Amino acid sequence: MRRKPALPIRLIVYLAILFVAVIINLPFFWMLVTSFKTEDAAFTIPPSFLPTIFDLRNFVKAFELIPLARYIGNTLFVALTVTLLQLIFNSLAAYGLARIRFRGANVVFLILIGTLMVPPEVTMVPLYVIVKQFGFIDKYRALIVPFMSSAFGIFLLRQFFMGIPRELEEAAIIDGASRMKIFFRIILPLSKPALYTMALYTFLAHWNEYMWPLIVINDAKKQMIQVGISQFVSGWETQWTLRMAASTTAVIPIIIFFFFVQKQFVEGISISGLKE
Amino acid sequence: MSVTGIYILGTVIPSVVIGLLLAALLNIEWIKGRGIFRTLFYIPVITSMAAAAVIWGWLYEPNFGLVNYFLSIFGINNIKWLSDPNYSLLALIIVGVWKRIGYNMVLFLAGLQTIPKTYYEAAEIDGATPWNKFRSITLPLLSPTTLFVFIMQFIASFRVFVSVSVMTSGGPAKSTQVITYYLYENAFRYLKFGYASAIAVVMFAMMIVFTLIQFRLSRRRVHYQ
Repeated sequence: MRRKPALPIRLIVYLAILFVAVIINLPFFWMLVTSFKTEDAAFTIPPSFLPTIFDLRNFVKAFELIPLARYIGNTLFVALTVTLLQLIFNSLAAYGLARIRFRGANVVFLILIGTLMVPPEVTMVPLYVIVKQFGFIDKYRALIVPFMSSAFGIFLLRQFFMGIPRELEEAAIIDGASRMKIFFRIILPLSKPALYTMALYTFLAHWNEYMWPLIVINDAKKQMIQVGISQFVSGWETQWTLRMAASTTAVIPIIIFFFFVQKQFVEGISISGLKE
Repeated sequence: MSVTGIYILGTVIPSVVIGLLLAALLNIEWIKGRGIFRTLFYIPVITSMAAAAVIWGWLYEPNFGLVNYFLSIFGINNIKWLSDPNYSLLALIIVGVWKRIGYNMVLFLAGLQTIPKTYYEAAEIDGATPWNKFRSITLPLLSPTTLFVFIMQFIASFRVFVSVSVMTSGGPAKSTQVITYYLYENAFRYLKFGYASAIAVVMFAMMIVFTLIQFRLSRRRVHYQ
């Protein structure tokens, strides 16, 4: 055990950390406070750090001015569908790459890893052209089909599957289990932390996605939440109390959710990332 | 292009340095509630850039925004953050750094955990000060992580788009026209797909070249255990 420094030094270190934590989260605090202020109270100098109204007035108005409920529903639908599909396809592909020997397996894996190096912005234009030719523009399919599986997810799960002892499977094969049975009964139950991490990442990424829906969705009713809250409806630009209410709606559930899953999230990262 | 360059320079170094300092602080053993602080520092990372950009738009509001209010305490008045070409890029850099500190911190924390404690104990017996230990043990042994964080941050900064799109739309007077926004405008506003694809290829080539250069430059400075 190392010894602790003197109390004043400890206090200074604590204060420094606390100070940084407050500064970093001040924008969210300010968002929350502003969403509970009247228009007049928001535009005062010096600004008041306390809310002035104690009901959901701004939220109701924001939901009326832009179809927020609709956006939330749309985004939940798309993000959950993508997450589910990725759980299925990524785990199957990862199992194939981790365990089944076939001609060209290494090449397939290398190509997969190679695509991880290419930022999505680079492939955005060709992807748009493809999606357009399929007639997916303004349809949720445009947001789902290109993301049914991901190289990152496959890579993450493959690495995890490689760490599962082969003996377990060999024992199952002797007992006459099929590949699929091994996959569903042995591999998947043992991989819960990795699957969980991947699902959280995928969901969060698609809930937060801005650029792709901005490009492929023009129909205001089908828009995703992130584009929805940042778009410019007439009069929306200067109504900061309403915009903060809309942002709060998009941000606070995610932060609360993160507080709950944070432990598994980080544990998942250390299990899946530091293995090998 | 130079806008992207300035943005990258302005974001990479502060976000990596601050991330490292926070990780070093949170790695001190006697601090209680490290998990809570780590979560608090990580919140900007998990929130969407679109929502963050809307919030920062309000913070940067010239007359009633919080940023200018704090600055006015120090006698600096009325900066039009997002509508003055001299400040718009700085405004975006601040948001970019703020958003990525937590991510870099977590990567550094993982790196710090791999350094064996025995090294520090040996150094303590030899009478090393905290600064000695940080300088002579932590920094060299952390250098592979540092290189990784640098490259990740470099790529992330290169890809900046959402904050530009939401807060400034590349303006005012093209002062925030980063390469991804230029690409987006050409492709989806002017429908010049060919030109936009050419920009994408150039962007990708530059990312690869700069990443390779960073590997080269760091070869002598990175110590693998």
